[in-house]
Amino acid sequence: MSGVSGRPLGTLRWRILLGFGGVLAGLFAAAIIGAAALRAMREAVAHELQTLQAASVVGSGLVTTVFDEIRAAEQYLSLPSEQARREFQDAADEGFRHEKGLEQLEGLSVEDRLTVNRIKGLQASIQVDYSLAHALRDLGRDRAAQAQSVIVRDQARELTRLVRDLSTRQAQRAGQAGQRLSALAERRQLFLWVVLALTIAGGVLISWFTLQAVEGPLGRLVTAAERFGGGDLRPVTTGRMPREFQVLADAMRVMGERLRGVVGEVIGESDRIAGSASDLSAVSEQLAASSAEVSTAMVEIAGGAEEQRNELTAIGSGLARLQKAAGEMADSAVRVAQLGEEIRAVADRHRGDVLAAGTALLTVREVVQTTSHQVQQLALQSASIDDFVDLIKRISSQTNLLALNAAIEAARAGEHGKGFAVVAEEVRQLADESAKAAADVAATTAVIREQVEDVTATMAAGQAKVRGVESVAEGAARGLAEIVGAIEQVEQAAARVTVAAQQNREIAQQLGEKAHQVAGRAVGHAASAEEVTAAAEEQGASTEEMAAAAGALLQAAEKLRTLVKEFRV
Amino acid sequence: MLLCAALGAAACARAGGPILIGVAGPFSQPRGVSMQRAAQLAADEINTAGGIRGRPLRLVFADDSGSEDTAVRIAKSFAENPAIVAVVGHLSSNSTLAAGRVYSAGANPLVMISPSASSPDLTGFSRYVFRVTPNDLNQGQQIARFARRELGARRAGVIFINNEYGRGLRRAFTAEFTNLGGSVLEEDPYLSTSASFEPYLSRMRLRGGVDILMLACERPGADLALREARQLGLRWPVIGGDALTGIETLGPIAEGVRYSATYLPQRPGDRNARFVAAYARAFRGDHPDHRGAGAYDILYLLVRTIGAVGPDRAAIRDYIAAVGVGKPAFDGVTGTIAFDALGDVPAKPVVIGTIRNGHLEPETAR
Repeated sequence: MSGVSGRPLGTLRWRILLGFGGVLAGLFAAAIIGAAALRAMREAVAHELQTLQAASVVGSGLVTTVFDEIRAAEQYLSLPSEQARREFQDAADEGFRHEKGLEQLEGLSVEDRLTVNRIKGLQASIQVDYSLAHALRDLGRDRAAQAQSVIVRDQARELTRLVRDLSTRQAQRAGQAGQRLSALAERRQLFLWVVLALTIAGGVLISWFTLQAVEGPLGRLVTAAERFGGGDLRPVTTGRMPREFQVLADAMRVMGERLRGVVGEVIGESDRIAGSASDLSAVSEQLAASSAEVSTAMVEIAGGAEEQRNELTAIGSGLARLQKAAGEMADSAVRVAQLGEEIRAVADRHRGDVLAAGTALLTVREVVQTTSHQVQQLALQSASIDDFVDLIKRISSQTNLLALNAAIEAARAGEHGKGFAVVAEEVRQLADESAKAAADVAATTAVIREQVEDVTATMAAGQAKVRGVESVAEGAARGLAEIVGAIEQVEQAAARVTVAAQQNREIAQQLGEKAHQVAGRAVGHAASAEEVTAAAEEQGASTEEMAAAAGALLQAAEKLRTLVKEFRV
Repeated sequence: MLLCAALGAAACARAGGPILIGVAGPFSQPRGVSMQRAAQLAADEINTAGGIRGRPLRLVFADDSGSEDTAVRIAKSFAENPAIVAVVGHLSSNSTLAAGRVYSAGANPLVMISPSASSPDLTGFSRYVFRVTPNDLNQGQQIARFARRELGARRAGVIFINNEYGRGLRRAFTAEFTNLGGSVLEEDPYLSTSASFEPYLSRMRLRGGVDILMLACERPGADLALREARQLGLRWPVIGGDALTGIETLGPIAEGVRYSATYLPQRPGDRNARFVAAYARAFRGDHPDHRGAGAYDILYLLVRTIGAVGPDRAAIRDYIAAVGVGKPAFDGVTGTIAFDALGDVPAKPVVIGTIRNGHLEPETAR
């Protein structure tokens, strides 16, 4: 859209203005042509009538005057009188005035002019002949006067005939002019009909095109809006349309893009949360397994320590028999050494397990942290959904306003705007539905946000618990390290027993004391191991709780996914 | 000329050929002779001097015999010939009035300037009709004043030719003469076909005679009136209009006759002297009359006009109409020509002359 000036036909307003302007111009032109034709005809007819009237007035006037002249002249001849003489003179002068009128008639042909000349000649001759006759009469030469006056009669007849001929020719010309005018009028009438028909056809075409220009784009917009309403957010193509609708279509397109973007992100986020939750759950299970292993190991350790204590007790009681069975003692020492070795091996193994469990816990902590971070992001995202819902609300209120304006324009357009008014009402309802849909989205977003807050709280609890498990595991590891150190001492002692047992009974006694000490320690060690076991069991419980939380998270993510799955992006 | 005829007049007019001007008058009659001669003299002088804008001037003469019918036919043929750009003529009032309407009508009107048509009816007659002679109203007034004041006449008898000229002159004379306290005994019409004026003259004598016999006649009628008056032994002073020009050649019976003249060969001025001398050289010592002098002036006026605006009918008409108004007046052999809005030359003087010893001699009005 490069603006109104660039594409004047791009807007409905201009199409309607230009279209009806054209129709009006056509009607105006037809009216002007009609009026001009009527005027021209009226003037032409008036002119012809005037010419004809002038011809007949002059002609009859001339004939009447000549007869007056003859009458006065004859009267003078029979009885000369000043009155008759003056009447004759006046009639003659009047006759020449009529002649001048005859000459000035319009549209005389050369032939007519020759006739006029002949009439003038005849009249002059009549006057001269009577004047001479009067002179002769005045001189008393009555016979000569009579002879002179006789000539006049033929001339008068000839003059009357010529005047009549002239009038007839004028009348014929007027008739021809009338026929010409009639033919012209018919042509003008035809032309007028053609102009009117063209104007009507143009008006019908323009009305049809205007209706098409309103109905087509509106239908497409309604379909697109219905699709949005049904949750289908895939891009819509509305095609070319008038500028008023293009604004609406652009707004709908932008709305679709924004919705699509947001819903897509929500879907991605829920997928990621679900993934994280299942990861967390898997790690929790692993952790539980590790805890079980630690427990088992601790039970074994405890068992081993008991056994050792028993053996040591046996050593203590056997010390009496040591003197006699120093060899046996050495063997026992060897066995002790072997047992210590075994214990160390077991403790080492379990320390590795405990360390692995610690590492796993760290991973869990990281996962939980990541998840909580993502959940927070999700909370932020839902805030942007709120913004967007606001945008939709603004668009729908603007659409509402547009529809109202359209309704007003349609009302102005009158009968032609009726269809457009219905469409405008549809658009307005659509805008209302859009607003309602936006409100629904806002509600859904609120639900999601609540869920997310729950998840966030659960995560925080999980994190705290993981920290507890960590400290327990660290304690276990420390204990195991001490066990190893103690086992080493046992081994050293056993070695020394083995060497010294052969040599000295006192040493054996000392050894016995030592063995007692060792036994005391072993009892302590067993207590430690039991502590560890208890801690491990506690950790197992925590892990189970965490797994439950992870499950809840997973469930929330799934629900979220179901919610957004209704959107097609 | 042959080439022109072959190509057609219009082609000639465009191709730098001659510029055509129509000249119409009763050249077969004595009254038309001077007009034809003077027109030819002017054309010869103009062509000798290089023509108009380097193009020669050619005159197309047409004899209307003073007949209205012939004049109408000639006017039609001139108007329909696009190569003819202006007309000099016609000579008499009746033919000028008849032809004038034809020149004025049609798609391409043609301007005509008469050297001698003097009828009052021609005043404001048409946008295309002009004349270089004072009208009969003027002449009739001058004649009546002269008769009443200079000659002291109280009773006048008028014999007039029953056409535009005669009626116009009679009307002007009678009105002015009556106005000045004189009485007009009778006004008697005649036609060129009339055989005798004797009844009119006898009746005037019967009624006690007149102090002045006004002959609003053309030459033949005037000749007849003079002869019949002489036969009746009447010795009334005779006066007439410029149509009597040339009557001095009639001999003793014309002695003492007075008539109005718009031009006399004796008119002072170098230009007129040169014209009269050239005319006499060319035509065996003859003198030009007012018709010849008028035609001579009209041709020079047309040459100046065409030189200024080119050979275009409408442009020529517009220029002529402006002579003396927007354009400078024309100083010719007959005096200063300046047209008024009605196509007349009101400023031109009228001279009353008396025939003495076979020559018209000017009488200065008091």
